[in-house]
Amino acid sequence: MDGSRMDLALFSQYIVNGLMQGMVYALVAVGFTLFFGVLDIIKFSHGDVLTVGAFSGLTAYLALSGMGLSNPVVLLLLVIIFALSVTALLGMVVAKLLIIPLKQARAPALNILLITLMLGTVLRETVRLFFPNGSSSKAFPTLLPTGGIDIGSFSLRIDSVMLFVAGALIIVGTHFLITKTKLGLAIQAVAQDEETSKLMGINFDSIVLITFALGSGIAAIAGIMNGLYYNEINFSMGLLLGAVGFSAAIIGGLGNLYGAILGGFLFAGLQTFAVVALPIPTAYKDVFAFAVVIILIAWRPTGLIAEKYSERV
Amino acid sequence: MSSTIDLNVRNATTGYDAVNVLHDVSVQAKAGNITCILGSNGAGKSTLVRMILGLTPARSGNVAFGETDITKTRTHKVIGKGISCIPEGRAVFPKCTVLQNLRLGAYGVESEDEIQNSLKNVYELFPRLHERKTQIAGTMSGGEQAMVSIGRGLMSSPELLVIDEPSLGLSPLFVTETFKIIREINNRGTSVLLIEQNVKQTLAISHYGYVLGQGRVVAEGTSKELSSSEAVHSAYFS
Repeated sequence: MDGSRMDLALFSQYIVNGLMQGMVYALVAVGFTLFFGVLDIIKFSHGDVLTVGAFSGLTAYLALSGMGLSNPVVLLLLVIIFALSVTALLGMVVAKLLIIPLKQARAPALNILLITLMLGTVLRETVRLFFPNGSSSKAFPTLLPTGGIDIGSFSLRIDSVMLFVAGALIIVGTHFLITKTKLGLAIQAVAQDEETSKLMGINFDSIVLITFALGSGIAAIAGIMNGLYYNEINFSMGLLLGAVGFSAAIIGGLGNLYGAILGGFLFAGLQTFAVVALPIPTAYKDVFAFAVVIILIAWRPTGLIAEKYSERV
Repeated sequence: MSSTIDLNVRNATTGYDAVNVLHDVSVQAKAGNITCILGSNGAGKSTLVRMILGLTPARSGNVAFGETDITKTRTHKVIGKGISCIPEGRAVFPKCTVLQNLRLGAYGVESEDEIQNSLKNVYELFPRLHERKTQIAGTMSGGEQAMVSIGRGLMSSPELLVIDEPSLGLSPLFVTETFKIIREINNRGTSVLLIEQNVKQTLAISHYGYVLGQGRVVAEGTSKELSSSEAVHSAYFS
């Protein structure tokens, strides 16, 4: 072991890293929980929508910087707007053409799950084939300030702080939207009782479309955050992030916004714990975290926040 | 302030999947009246409600509200035309507060003044709801949920209120109370289409009624005529 000062710096680095990961997981889990809350469906293509978000952000960057734009603030803004638009549109198209018709035809939940699983593969493979040399990782541009704030021997990266704050704002904003606005009230009504919500004069289809646009847009943000943090994206990034986000939503209690957030940070906490405190190779962190998730689900089959005490979105 | 729009169902047939449940049904809910639909279980009463509201649209025949044809109109738009529904089994939003439930009843109302005015009226009718406005509706008693559901149905100041089996699952005392409130709502000018199994109390407050049996209208008349009608008895006891 080196000096304890070094360990502290390293430890802090792990914590920041864990918080960032937790935020990305929480954002993905929020999408799963929204879709399940409103339509009782598991949308397995969610992780790949995140990939589409990250890659459309990269596409926008390449196109814009190719046109000579170099101001990072403007670039970042346009990258986000483009990625958000692409994924929100994608979410609405999927809801309109696949999910709503299938629900109306009273298709079994398993069939919807299977179809979204296949859709995920279609999206993933499309990204891989569309991009030149799509199988290998792509560099994601550095668009945030690169400096750091020195705290003792530990340097806190400014971009991490910004990303974390942005993620927190999105979660708070989503929570505000659902609990404090008229649109949110309609989303809650649709989630609780589809038919009665129609009897209130709520346009069920458009609430579903809005929910899908919202969840998919949040996934795009998570994808871009991931890209900005690691400076690298990959066509298969959505696979693991989707599985983790889904697990996070399940351990928290599917359909519950707080549960999704709790689940996301818990999963990242488990990974960080495995890296920092366990005498196992770092590569085993996912093995450890998923194993604990399995145990947690066996212990609390309906999630950590039981539904009767919570408000399903 | 009295309602002026009639609801007309003309020769309507509908059902689920391959099976028709209603056959050639014609029913009119006259503006300003309480019109009742009587019938035993499985007579097609709830299907008639679903048809009027566009949840199970008519396969033939038509449904019109005043001059407007609403046969194929989607449910949320039917509601926008001035029809409101108190669904069977009350169907409050269990995880929303009383106030949220009431506000959902006024979902299509743009003006906050109008919403506040409707809230005032509902609280006047049910002072209990005012006391309990922050309570989660799912934690209330059946009678209280019935108040929420009725209040919610009034929030859009409807021309026509469709009430599906309000007595279902309530104590006899509260059933009497509910019927009194329905009469009061009607006295204030709202037309009512009341779907019920409870013949005696329903006819006591209705102006006109229809009896459904096996998906057809088997009798109709003023409530006085129906009270003494053989058809009513046979529809229930045959």
